[in-house]
Amino acid sequence: MAGADFTLDGKSLNELGREGDTNDSMEKVFNDIVTQGYYLNNQKLVEQYVRSAPFLLKDLMDWGLEIKLSDQRMIFTSGTHIMDVLLKKARSAGVDLMQDVMLLDLVTGDGAVVGALGLDVHTGEFIEFSAKAIVIATGGWHKAFWPNTGMRDLSGEGIAMAHRAGAAVGNMEFITFCCNIMLEPPMWRGSLAPYMLSLICGGNLSNKNGDNVLAGYDPFIVKTGTGTEWNKSFISHATMKEVRAGRGFANGGVHYSRGDAPWDYMKMVASFIFPGWKYKAMDLSEWGRMLEENLPIEVGPAVEYFEGGIIVDERFQTGVEGLFAAGECALGAFGSNRVFSAITEMLVQGRDAGEHAASHALKRPGQAPALKVPGTLRERAELPLNRKDGVAPAPLRRRVQETAHERLGPIRNREELESFIAFLEDVKSKDLPNMCVALKDRIYNKEWIDALEMGNMVHLLETSARSALARTESRGVHFREDHPCTDNDHWLKESVVEFSGGSFQVGARPVTITSMSPPSGAVPYLDMMKRMMEAHSDTGGKH
Amino acid sequence: MGKTIHVKVFKYNPAIDREPGFQNYLVPFEKGMSAMDALDYIYQNLDGSVAYYDHAGCSLGICARCTGKINGKAGLLCQTAVEGDVTLEPVNASKVVRDLVMRRGETRE
Repeated sequence: MAGADFTLDGKSLNELGREGDTNDSMEKVFNDIVTQGYYLNNQKLVEQYVRSAPFLLKDLMDWGLEIKLSDQRMIFTSGTHIMDVLLKKARSAGVDLMQDVMLLDLVTGDGAVVGALGLDVHTGEFIEFSAKAIVIATGGWHKAFWPNTGMRDLSGEGIAMAHRAGAAVGNMEFITFCCNIMLEPPMWRGSLAPYMLSLICGGNLSNKNGDNVLAGYDPFIVKTGTGTEWNKSFISHATMKEVRAGRGFANGGVHYSRGDAPWDYMKMVASFIFPGWKYKAMDLSEWGRMLEENLPIEVGPAVEYFEGGIIVDERFQTGVEGLFAAGECALGAFGSNRVFSAITEMLVQGRDAGEHAASHALKRPGQAPALKVPGTLRERAELPLNRKDGVAPAPLRRRVQETAHERLGPIRNREELESFIAFLEDVKSKDLPNMCVALKDRIYNKEWIDALEMGNMVHLLETSARSALARTESRGVHFREDHPCTDNDHWLKESVVEFSGGSFQVGARPVTITSMSPPSGAVPYLDMMKRMMEAHSDTGGKH
Repeated sequence: MGKTIHVKVFKYNPAIDREPGFQNYLVPFEKGMSAMDALDYIYQNLDGSVAYYDHAGCSLGICARCTGKINGKAGLLCQTAVEGDVTLEPVNASKVVRDLVMRRGETRE
């Protein structure tokens, strides 16, 4: 939310009045997104991203977007500013907006979506939504992990409810952990500040023995994997290697310090991105002092972005009639590893999904369909309120989050994934059916909210863990210790998880290819990472 | 046992309670903890009924939804450091939905 980039090709950026790069092209960006995704991308959606991005940025600028900084392919502003611009536009277009409302489940009839059941968090009253078409745009499911970098309401309810309604999900095993996230002190835990500063200024990462975490890696990988947004996958991988080998610190991270980076330069950069060492309301002046004196702070990978999601076609329609999905909750353009901006993805997909959903709704004549919300939906939601005793949701939530961070991180293996799935099965059979809240009142009942979100979080963790177990190779942000090669002969396919009769069916489908043919052969993970980095076009910048 | 602090939290449900009150909790102290960290500890370990704006907050000083009074001074719960015993209240008790949560659009004094 604090910092936000929007990426597009440099030529279009130049035509929009920023410097950009006139030698860049949409074809080069297409090449770069596909290779950064290790060829697991849906190339039709990559084309949509590349083609639509300049129009979206022009729209945003016309609506009042102010740009703080830009480089060859990116403009930088704040997430809250983008949100303000969009809200203003939405209000002027007459869109009804509701806040502090959560959706509990979709309602379908004759195979099509006809509405949803929601809950006003403040009053605790149910809300029925009747609709001819619905666009799911609920983002990621950061809340299933602790620590994380997202908003506290990102529980993945949209993906889970679409899955329950019959839509398939895909590539759920690919989860980007942002590197260099603050793990201490508690007040700053989850902040991206060191990630941003290190991306621009460099710095030093050291383990418990005082050794450089990135020593011993291929110099080209280190250069690209620290100076561009490849840093998320590379540094997170390297950090977890240290932590898993027992060379990490108390909070599961490593130490970041200024190292050889010149203090004057760092101070100047900080004055742009954290003016007065203030990152919104976060006062980082103490960290500034520590950087000047070259004192370390503990940082590590934390969940930041989900490459997988609800499977959609080029119209952003899911497998359920009338149900669309866009942005991070959808299986989008980035394959197994995202370097380009997710904000661009959210905007270009959101616009097209909205248009397609609107034209779908127009084709369904008359009023919105009569909604028959099954009584069982309400009853199920009220169970934690009505039980006299049982499992408290808050400690359960934290236990699930911490176990997910430990078992479904950037480095996985069969044994740990199987034990994690067994843990989730246990939670599903013993804890979820017995959740009970202390306070029986419906008004802003935090425990009840947690109880309602828990099922979705556990559901998505299971789809992810089962996909990660099935994918016996290493690719992008998914590294398997027991299968350390990228296997282009057997695994150039998307994982697909369907849900019916209360159980998961894990399968796969071919990757959607338009113009870039994937490579063949099995290649060690870091060698493949290097090849994908080397395949980058000649355009500079962080993407 | 390490250092602990007393955290006094405003408790009020206008639909039921005749008047507001306070509840005291003993919380382990951690250097660099915020008022929100103290509330998270209470919520997860001591009292699941405590309400503070958290379900859609950022906890990083960006969204400004977790406003409150910390030892009488208005600020963000997530970015106000706690260094000892502390009292946590809503910025305006007459606009409370429950405990520290205020009505939508009325998170200021």
